[in-house]
Amino acid sequence: MAEHYSSFRRGGTLWVLQRVTAVFLIGVLAFHFVLLHFVNHAAEITFLGTQARMSQWGYLATMWLFLVTATFHGVNGVYNALVNQGLTGTAKRVVGGVLALAGLLLIVQGTRVALAMSNVV
Amino acid sequence: MSQTYDRGTVESYGRWREFSAGMWAWILHKFTGWILVGYLFTHIAVLSTATGVDPASAGAGATDLYTATLSGLESLLVVRFLEVGLLAVAVFHILNGIRLLFVDLGMGLEVQDKSFYASVILTGAITVASVPTFLGGAL
Repeated sequence: MAEHYSSFRRGGTLWVLQRVTAVFLIGVLAFHFVLLHFVNHAAEITFLGTQARMSQWGYLATMWLFLVTATFHGVNGVYNALVNQGLTGTAKRVVGGVLALAGLLLIVQGTRVALAMSNVV
Repeated sequence: MSQTYDRGTVESYGRWREFSAGMWAWILHKFTGWILVGYLFTHIAVLSTATGVDPASAGAGATDLYTATLSGLESLLVVRFLEVGLLAVAVFHILNGIRLLFVDLGMGLEVQDKSFYASVILTGAITVASVPTFLGGAL
């Protein structure tokens, strides 16, 4: 029988978080697309317009949670895809570490960007 | 009694002619996921132009780096087409993701192939309908 690889572990925290973030992202990604392409057209976006949106606490918090959940969902998705391809042992640990670091750096930079766009702090 | 057979490794892409709807859904979800995570990193990189903007001078007539970068990108027709592609990728990933959440809950397993086809058709319809919005002012 063929060797079977799977990222699935029943009851695994990462498995649950991937689904929980998916539910949040379904709504927020659709909202983000509609607001910044259909309500406000991307070609007409200016720093002042962005600042006006990002200076509302609710919007800022939603966008920051969007950043964190999308980063986790994306990076964990890449990790799962590589594990599905047969990544094991030391390579699996190294790739996991590199992806976790990349995700952390993205969240740090994204937070810097969000604060630069906002005037709430 | 159920039977087992050697199906090879799950990701034996050389067998693509034998793939069923569920396998295509799995591949497309992965493909769109890779694009979306790649775009996420690119998106934050482009938006990082906002970190050097002085808010006090941003509205004083001079064009700041953030506004100039975004309007410069939006003036390129190829970027508008890439945005349509990004929408298609995001819509499929969302719709198929909803399908997967239902499958995880054990709901709709018997119609998982039909729900995949529905995801593809709805993605196509939404993408086509969005083209005028994305290309507006660029042609």
